[in-house]
Amino acid sequence: MKVSFNELQGLSRKAFIAIGFDEGDANDAADMVAWMEAHGLDGIAALRKGLDFLLNEDKSQPPELIYQDADLCVVDAQHKTVLGHASLAVELGYAKCRARGLSVTKIRHCHNRMLIVGYLSRIARRNMSVTAFWRNSHEPLTEILVSFKSGEAEPEICMYGLPSTPDDTEPNDGITLVMVNHVDLLPDLKPDAPPNDLIRQNREAMADWHERSLVEGIEVDPELWERLKLLATRMLVEASDDSRQGAGAGTNDND
Amino acid sequence: MISATSASELYNLRPAREVMKLERLGSMFASRLSFVRSLMRKMITERWQIVNTVFDLDAKGHGLAIYRIKTPANCYHCVIFSRDLTPEQRSDRVIAEAWDVTFAVVEGEVENSLLEQMAANVPLQEAGRQHPRVLVLSRANKSLRNFSQFIGALAAGRQPDPAWLTAVGYLYRTTAVYGNGKFGIADFARLERNPDFNRPFAAQMLAVYVLRQFSIDQLNHLAKVQSPEQATTLHPELERYLGIGNSTGLGMAPFLINHPQLIQQWVYGRERALAYARQEAATEQTHAKLQELMARALKHLQQTQTEDREQALRNQETARSVTETIDWLDRTPAHPGLYEELITWARGHCSLEAQELINTMLIELYPNLVDKLDDELGCHESMDLQPDMKAKQLKSLIDQKFSWALSYREDCPDDNYWFWYRSVEKEEPRLGVRGAESGAEKETALAIGPRISRCHAKLEQFLAQNPNAMVVEFLLAHPEQKECVRRIQTMGETPYGEIRANLWHRDMKPMHLLRTKLSFFGASRFDPKSDRWVRITLFQGAPRPCELTNPERSLEQLDDWGFPLEPQLDNNNLILQGKVT
Repeated sequence: MKVSFNELQGLSRKAFIAIGFDEGDANDAADMVAWMEAHGLDGIAALRKGLDFLLNEDKSQPPELIYQDADLCVVDAQHKTVLGHASLAVELGYAKCRARGLSVTKIRHCHNRMLIVGYLSRIARRNMSVTAFWRNSHEPLTEILVSFKSGEAEPEICMYGLPSTPDDTEPNDGITLVMVNHVDLLPDLKPDAPPNDLIRQNREAMADWHERSLVEGIEVDPELWERLKLLATRMLVEASDDSRQGAGAGTNDND
Repeated sequence: MISATSASELYNLRPAREVMKLERLGSMFASRLSFVRSLMRKMITERWQIVNTVFDLDAKGHGLAIYRIKTPANCYHCVIFSRDLTPEQRSDRVIAEAWDVTFAVVEGEVENSLLEQMAANVPLQEAGRQHPRVLVLSRANKSLRNFSQFIGALAAGRQPDPAWLTAVGYLYRTTAVYGNGKFGIADFARLERNPDFNRPFAAQMLAVYVLRQFSIDQLNHLAKVQSPEQATTLHPELERYLGIGNSTGLGMAPFLINHPQLIQQWVYGRERALAYARQEAATEQTHAKLQELMARALKHLQQTQTEDREQALRNQETARSVTETIDWLDRTPAHPGLYEELITWARGHCSLEAQELINTMLIELYPNLVDKLDDELGCHESMDLQPDMKAKQLKSLIDQKFSWALSYREDCPDDNYWFWYRSVEKEEPRLGVRGAESGAEKETALAIGPRISRCHAKLEQFLAQNPNAMVVEFLLAHPEQKECVRRIQTMGETPYGEIRANLWHRDMKPMHLLRTKLSFFGASRFDPKSDRWVRITLFQGAPRPCELTNPERSLEQLDDWGFPLEPQLDNNNLILQGKVT
């Protein structure tokens, strides 16, 4: 079924609030999902994939700041989705970059990492260049690089498989963000070592997708839509005779 | 689309502590910047053509009608479905499931496949899935009283009594006018680059305006069916005096609270218009025009009828104040400082409504200064954190700009009396009494004042331990404050950041919220049906579609339709004139 951007954003927001997100996180998470989907980056699929996890995670424990200095911070997301408080880690990096010209932010132990791109678009809008890097640890090992130029609405995205798996025992569930205030950092793949299965998504393609989603609507799986609607009803109050009076109107207007 | 304006661009503006009080906002009138006025000016200037292309109604007035709207660059259609409705189904509330008419404005042509899709879904409204080319979705119910009286009169070859329209200024009243992506229709983002509809609610207002013409065409059709030989058509003066009603309730409140940047832009536009007018030196000519406008407004108010006791008293009080204002103008000759003197005098002698009416009329005097603001009432809404702001600076910001919110008392029952929520019945917004009604645990976060106050308390505690911390560090300790802080930082930079009221307070009047929004729409004839439910009229007095393209009528003539008065018609003459289409 087709839905509008505003519908996707609005229903996602209601569903996130219903499952326990604070209002700010619910707004940010809904923005991220809708932004990703409208730009052809599968926000809905990522949400579908993470929804069961989201329903069961403990929302009361915010991410922990485990190290910071003037230019660098490390935040432990405690095995939660980036849709939650990860935005604050990004904001911490933004604050440091504003002060120092460049900052590095490491968010450890987080899920649904691709969705963070939706939040990074806000950072770029606020005149900051930001590059995100992470690895998917499943086979084949894949690296993902997302770079927003300062002021640009869409990023450049590179995703490629690595020819060999390094001998690394650490779980690969973090993101590294590099923000710079006065120059742009953009991915420039080495010409002599082309990575395997390169997928490159450029800004023009994403802008086109965005345009198309505004004109044609956004395709969503009806089952997921119903699930989100059901979740959203958790925040609706059961009707009673008293509550019907609470709207302040009669039930008939035959005058 | 511009961003919400920051406070650095101040003119001679009234302070927010005066303007943003809920009681004053709830005393505003439609002005020449209201969306219906702005849309009419655009349609007149650009000579939009609105013509009926399909009128397939049966003897009961049920069926399909389509109107084509041609602008300089684009073409749209308003598709209207009219059906039989049993009396027990006729409700103006959102919980209704059927309406007398349902309609939609669609971009481009209406090909058969689109019409089929619309026929299957538009009548279902919220329960349907609408096409992405639909820009506006709406529905309306008949004013049964007017409908039967009007048809009876026209069928008998008489014009209806204009007083009927003074009592209830419409044949149909809309009960919701949806835009911006609701139920699958086009997002507003798509309209932002469309010069026809890039102003707030412009597409919605067009839909309402076209419905007005349909109501006239349907009326003439039914009179003709009833009495083919004898029937006459509605007189142009009455067509002009006929508006479209709107019935609305608490749904206005969430919009006002959830779009603070947009509301700031509307208020800022209106306040700039007033500031421009106040800077002007009154002349004999503007003095006379102001007297004329006030006299018209007085008559309009005296003609306005409502069964609501409180609103009736307000109208009487305003009429009394306006009478005094007219006397004051009569005895005060034009001089350069007249407007300032009038405003100062009114502050001491007039009701809030009358003060705001005077402001509305001052704005009306200067189209050349004011009308350019039509294009500045929209904004790109986005609230961003300033994470590197010092936490102590955030506290100062609250102390300086949001001190009104700090009077909230956590332990005072009156300060926490109401809670706002949405019902499981079609998400209808409702108001409950905390502690007495269930559902408070699911309340909608609309009371910004208490939230800011709570944030301030947490900030004070945090600063005691972390005096040099940044805002982002405060938020890492209190992540639940993110939305509130983002809002404080964003709105703190604007001249008219927030409506200054505790929406939980026992004395809070929801009607003020409704009127705030409706005045920007351009509503007249406020007719409350309870303390949180109101009927109003839009487009009463507005030019007819056929006049938009009439080269003999100037913009100035056509645009002067605010505060309409009951037509003074000679019935005998009307019978003759009514035969002429």
